[in-house]
Amino acid sequence: MHTQYVLLPSFRTLIEAIDTGSNKTALSSCNKLLKKQPQNDLVKALKALALSRLQKFEEAGALCEEILASKPTDESTLGAMSHTLRGLGRHMDIITMYESAWKQQPGNEELAIQTFSANARTGNWKLAQQVAIRLHKQFKEDRYLYWNVFCAVLQLEQASDPTTLPPLRPVLYKLAHRLITTSEVPSFYSPDRFYVHILILKELGLYEEAAALLESEKGKDICGRSLICDELRREIWVLKGSVKEEGQRAQDRILKKDDRNWLEFLSVLNATFHDINSTEEPTEETMAACQDQINKTQVFFAEIADRDGARDRSGPLALLELELRARKIALSIDPSALYTLTESYFQQYGDKPCCYEDLLPYVADFNVEDLSRWTSFLRMYTLSDTLDDLRRTTNALKLIRYSLTPAELTPESENARAAQYMDIYYNGLKHGKDLADTELQHADDLLALAAHAFVNSWKISGDQANLYNAITVLEFGLTRSKQAYQFRLMLIRIYHILGAPSLALEHYRLLNVKQVQTDTLSHFILTRASTFALSSLGDLTYSTECIEASQIYQSNSLDTAEFVIRAFLTEKYSQIADFVTLEDRLDNSLQRDLMKMEHVRMRVAHEPISAELVDVELVELKFIFDRLHYDNRDFDILPNYQPRSQPTFNEQTKMFGKIPGKGWLWMFLKVYILACRHASDMDDTAEEKLVLGDRPKTNPNIEAVKLPLQERLAMRPQEELDELTSDELALVNFETSVAEWLGPHHDFIRPLPSVEHTNGTKQIENPHTTNGTNGHSKKLDEQPTSKEPPEIATQFFDEMKQRFDTALQASSLPPELLHIVTLTQEAFLLFAIETTRFKSSAVVKAHKLGAVVQSIKDIRSKAAAVLTAMSVELDKLAAADGSPERSQVFIDACQPLVASEITEEFVSEVAKKVVDARKQIVEGIAKGVAKVCKNHA
Amino acid sequence: MSVLRPFRATDLFKFNNINMDIWTETYGISFYLSYLARWPDLCCAQEAPSGRMMGYIIGKAEGPGTDWHGHVTALTVAPEYRRLSLARKMMDLLEHVSDQSYRGYFVDLYVRCTNQAAITMYERLGYSVYRRVREYYGSLGLGRSAKDEEDAFENTGAPIDAMAVFTDMRKPLSRDPYRRSVRPGGREIVVSAHDVS
Repeated sequence: MHTQYVLLPSFRTLIEAIDTGSNKTALSSCNKLLKKQPQNDLVKALKALALSRLQKFEEAGALCEEILASKPTDESTLGAMSHTLRGLGRHMDIITMYESAWKQQPGNEELAIQTFSANARTGNWKLAQQVAIRLHKQFKEDRYLYWNVFCAVLQLEQASDPTTLPPLRPVLYKLAHRLITTSEVPSFYSPDRFYVHILILKELGLYEEAAALLESEKGKDICGRSLICDELRREIWVLKGSVKEEGQRAQDRILKKDDRNWLEFLSVLNATFHDINSTEEPTEETMAACQDQINKTQVFFAEIADRDGARDRSGPLALLELELRARKIALSIDPSALYTLTESYFQQYGDKPCCYEDLLPYVADFNVEDLSRWTSFLRMYTLSDTLDDLRRTTNALKLIRYSLTPAELTPESENARAAQYMDIYYNGLKHGKDLADTELQHADDLLALAAHAFVNSWKISGDQANLYNAITVLEFGLTRSKQAYQFRLMLIRIYHILGAPSLALEHYRLLNVKQVQTDTLSHFILTRASTFALSSLGDLTYSTECIEASQIYQSNSLDTAEFVIRAFLTEKYSQIADFVTLEDRLDNSLQRDLMKMEHVRMRVAHEPISAELVDVELVELKFIFDRLHYDNRDFDILPNYQPRSQPTFNEQTKMFGKIPGKGWLWMFLKVYILACRHASDMDDTAEEKLVLGDRPKTNPNIEAVKLPLQERLAMRPQEELDELTSDELALVNFETSVAEWLGPHHDFIRPLPSVEHTNGTKQIENPHTTNGTNGHSKKLDEQPTSKEPPEIATQFFDEMKQRFDTALQASSLPPELLHIVTLTQEAFLLFAIETTRFKSSAVVKAHKLGAVVQSIKDIRSKAAAVLTAMSVELDKLAAADGSPERSQVFIDACQPLVASEITEEFVSEVAKKVVDARKQIVEGIAKGVAKVCKNHA
Repeated sequence: MSVLRPFRATDLFKFNNINMDIWTETYGISFYLSYLARWPDLCCAQEAPSGRMMGYIIGKAEGPGTDWHGHVTALTVAPEYRRLSLARKMMDLLEHVSDQSYRGYFVDLYVRCTNQAAITMYERLGYSVYRRVREYYGSLGLGRSAKDEEDAFENTGAPIDAMAVFTDMRKPLSRDPYRRSVRPGGREIVVSAHDVS
């Protein structure tokens, strides 16, 4: 330790500055101290930390190199370095640093643990295991043995280490098993060690051995107080085929211990049907035995239902589930039983909000007669005078709606239903008139039902008036129930459909989405955000939103791995795999890269197309191109009360009917990588400089990664194309044809130091090797012949203009027009990226590209003419959109809603907001297009 | 009908219907992982058979000597799943584990004094007021107990104000057969947050 420095006042100032994040002060303190002690590694490390925090990455990196070269062993220096290198993303250097320190001080346990941690941080379980083995050998602590074992487990988890080959699996598990059994302290020592032990036995198929441990006194005790171990116990019992035994045990727990965990009821149900489920062709005897079992279980559940009464709904629901399962294998004795049980369940629990969700699986199995009886029964519930009445009526209406057939769903009937829902809603408001602002109204779901009916009516008739009604009721609902987030989510969807994105954004912000929710919920606002972004005018609202929503990925990379390490230190093995999964799913989140893609699309409209932009985006997009994505987006958060014969509310309100997924992302990545590769002059050395920190690991599970980049970029699988709208597809085809046309010229002209002229062989372009070629194909010796531009490219802009005119005449919703215009603009920008190289007259002269350049100019002026015409039309549309007549159309459409609660003024206000928002975006896009044309003329 | 199961790190992707509720705070990843990395057995969730999350509890074990106890940091149930005794089931589990695994003397939690509904609920579960804690919100926002408390109840009409008084409620466990960790008249004892560790 540098204790002598700790005592220095100047050193204390430095530490304080580092702690409080006063990085400039820290930097000057370091410089002062270094004058006196130029070789002080700790001060140097702190200086590197301050530099990296001040975003001076290159300087920080260079200083780190210097310190690493001196092979430090001092713990403070190592700690500061570890911090700095982590911030720089240089995890591999942390490993080397600790390894070298440990080598110099082999008896230092702390350094050994840090070496282990450094490996764990990068998910390198194989190397971490080797360190754990050495740790155990040297320091003899049991926990190191478990570290070793659990690293083996993690190696075998697909998500954490996809490189471990299947044949290695049993070997690693057997080894782990032997280690645990040779340990002096039995695994009962802690629930988490016990968990690891059982997990290994499970993987090895040694179920009896696992069962014996679980059945022992200590095993039972652990399962009794650890849900995690008990979960594993359930799995073992199923795996070893003791389903019936488990069913009996569950019955005992339900009966004697009053356990009402639904898992116990499921165990009883699984045991009841086990004879039949475990054989492919059940004999008559098996059927009879099962029938007998069903009867017994029925008696048992009925007894529980009786005993619990209204206190717990597990018994009655278990009876329903039993009947449903019996029906599925034709062992139901009483054809009316399912109906009777459902009705009685409603009578008993109809006042619980979850009653609707509880009953759906059973109502779905009703026959026609049951259904008509059911609907008549539910129609009796119309009151809302007491809170109990209101709750029951709400559930009844939801359940009636669920079973409506397409014949019953006309625009008129849906509008009539909406009116009915609203009537009861208004009446129901009285039960919540004294509630505080922070509370939800008891009648909220009725209003949600009305909004559903309006949206469905729009879907059937195509009449926008229904959407205006939906907006008005939802906005009204929010005046009574300020925290009704579901209303906001529904509004966000509808405002997007109608082309009023600023209102959608307003509601989204009020949801206060933060932390990990930005990963799961930002899709509500950022899906195809470039359609509504005014980045072309310098308005960076959506770009900023993308950046802010992406912060979670930063904090995930910095923090989550630290908790993996912490869980090793605290020996909470049961958590580690989940932590690793969490990190992986965030790191490779689909939403993360969809946002990134949108950000790039907005960026090119905003910034000049510079070499820096092209190079940086090329590197980043290529990284994304090697990822295996996880879709963490939460769509279930949107309520759905549409009839089961109809698409869900989510399906109905997707903008352009399609939600971008992996295929969409893949296609856009290809388009942008293609264009940026052509525009870039970057060789591998330059690319290395742009990469901060370690290169991300490639996932060998993506088959395509093994192919040459050129080939991957050319792939157009149908499932990916299917995710595109027809206009997006046109854009993809446009860029593909332009790239094919100009590609050979780019390849010939581009300075390519790392590629030999014509070696005839095809190179596999792997961005993860240092001597690759940045994905550029072989260099040609001979000047490629100039070709005529492809038809797709020359006709694209005319076709888009036609699309636009048709949509305009058909009075399509504004987003469709904006979609066509922004994609035409995007094609123009991609064309600019593709053709910047040919702007230099020296290049044109040297390569005799006169003809090509003339064609480029023709296309560009055609594009500019089309875009200008579109801009003019949009301007006209904006003027019309903002007119008082448009407001009046909205107000007239909502006239039927005007009553004592929803006033004329309220409707006018909502109408004005919508009309203004629509005008604003159409006008903005029109101006933006004009500006883009001017900038890239 | 709900599945009682461990709360997992990956539940962070699924808990929106619970956390969109105004009284439930969504913390950074580190908050959840720091609990799971130390007291995974004091964190559990309730799930509907459809897989939808209904509620969760997050707790810890802390305190020196006879103050060693289980603490409820967050307890929350989605609005649509209230009035189903889910909170009671999760509290039962936390108490059971605090008693059997951690051998704590008691379980405690913080509730805003104005939140009579929650206080009544906890009283029904066997909790009594140990003291009241005055907490001022600094410029950094809510204090520790305020955050705890925000999550700690399901129904409330209490507005957030600049200063709040919290009720510290306790329930003795089997290790405290003489109920030394609780006292009568706790409502009258008011301390400032500084005095509370």
